[in-house]
Amino acid sequence: MKNSKMTLSAETMNLDFVKKVEKLSDSSVRRCFQCGKCSAGCPMRTFMEHPPNRIVRLLQLGQYERVLAGRSIWYCASCETCSTRCPNKVDLAAIMDALRKCSWDAQGHSKESLVQLANRLFLDNIRTYGRQYEMRLAAAFNLHSGKLLKDFMLGPKLLTKGKLKMFHQKNKNLAEIEKIFRRIEELRKKGEAP
Amino acid sequence: MPTKNVLNYSYYPGCSLHASAKEYDESTQELFKILRIGLQEVPDWLCCGATPAHNVDELLSLSLCAKNLELADGVQGDLAVACAACFSRLKTAQHKLEENPEKRKQVEYALDAPLAMDKPVKHLLEILAKDYGLEQLGAAMRKSLSGLKVACYYGCLLTRPAEVPQLDCAEAPTIMERVIEAMGAETVKWSHRLECCGANFTLSRPGVVLQLSNEILASAQRAGADCIMVACPLCHANLDIRQKDIEAASGTRYNLPVLYMTQLLALGAGVSAKKLGFDSMMVSPLPLLKEKGLV
Ligand code: SF4
Ligand code: SF4
Repeated sequence: MKNSKMTLSAETMNLDFVKKVEKLSDSSVRRCFQCGKCSAGCPMRTFMEHPPNRIVRLLQLGQYERVLAGRSIWYCASCETCSTRCPNKVDLAAIMDALRKCSWDAQGHSKESLVQLANRLFLDNIRTYGRQYEMRLAAAFNLHSGKLLKDFMLGPKLLTKGKLKMFHQKNKNLAEIEKIFRRIEELRKKGEAP
Repeated sequence: MPTKNVLNYSYYPGCSLHASAKEYDESTQELFKILRIGLQEVPDWLCCGATPAHNVDELLSLSLCAKNLELADGVQGDLAVACAACFSRLKTAQHKLEENPEKRKQVEYALDAPLAMDKPVKHLLEILAKDYGLEQLGAAMRKSLSGLKVACYYGCLLTRPAEVPQLDCAEAPTIMERVIEAMGAETVKWSHRLECCGANFTLSRPGVVLQLSNEILASAQRAGADCIMVACPLCHANLDIRQKDIEAASGTRYNLPVLYMTQLLALGAGVSAKKLGFDSMMVSPLPLLKEKGLV
């Protein structure tokens, strides 16, 4: 897909998608004049098939499938360098968030499923315990990814250093947090939140 | 007899400080005690959602931060935050909800309450450099860190994006250098102090962390640093906990201690090294600190 020929027509351009991304991110893609500064400073550009400036260009051209199909959005580290340096105030880090949300909602089979898995387990952890417990997160990740990452966070070594907690206190705000998750789901069901 | 505090804050440690970064929490408590700055932990605070929440679900991220600010509102004093990532999330939530009434309405619905988000959120660095002040910090010095060459590592979220944290200049900050120089340390000039360590890929893409963090360690070593100073538990995890893996992958020996700003400052302010958690670090700073006559 990366090198396939791009034909611009009403069929291949999805401008509604672009509007949605602009709204979610509170940022315009039209302001970009392709100076490339974002990509020059991006620490993850070597891992991406589309560097940040090309992501914006593809969005300007309504090519959302190309953007979502690749791994680029899942390799963005949210370091905010691009947003800080853009001369046109394109908030690319927020656009990356918006694109990930679109991909996440579409639940398309992502090539970057491990990143998605880590995100999902992290959020599940918050809903269940109110806080992150690295031990549980690591254990769940190993279980679900089917890979026993033997070195993950050097589990045993951290345990002997007293750095990983096996037990934890119950958070008094668990009911409140469940309520937040539920009410967000409600809003979405009613179509009142993205 | 307990002496009166000169300043008082509510305190949001964040998840890491209760686990893999407990020495950051311990050294913060010790430092603030000796400086007579009060810290009262927000009871039953919740995870801020960190990168995974804003990565895929902005509304959840904003709601979790708003809930924490509501909880913090019950405790006196501006909110002191130790973790650069939590700090960035909380400040971003304040910024976005201020600017976007539609998102604000959604978050109000999620919390089922009007928002209480006005409490100033301050990173520890800001409290030390601005509220407490560099002069006072220098006056609190009991043991000068002179002779110690420190590479101050900011990483991403302490200064970026420019409109949000407003700690210091986004591209050429000096706040960390100024703080540690006030304790007598020497700071080195180096290229990678604002580069990303690969933070949130620790779990899912360790290869990324190995590459990015390797470049940071190499840059600090080139500059002749004795150690790296950080103000974020995630940076610390990648640079200290992962350092052996990085050495193995790159075939370079670094053996560069990575210390929390509060550990170094507390040491200079006369807190006993035993209370500062040096034992629980993967790359032990003790040989270095002994060599410099600091422990
Ligand atoms: S820095 Fe801004 S204007 Fe320049 S290419 Fe990137 S998004 Fe476009
Ligand atoms: S926020 Fe993402 S896209 Fe922007 S510079 Fe950082 S890694 Fe690259």
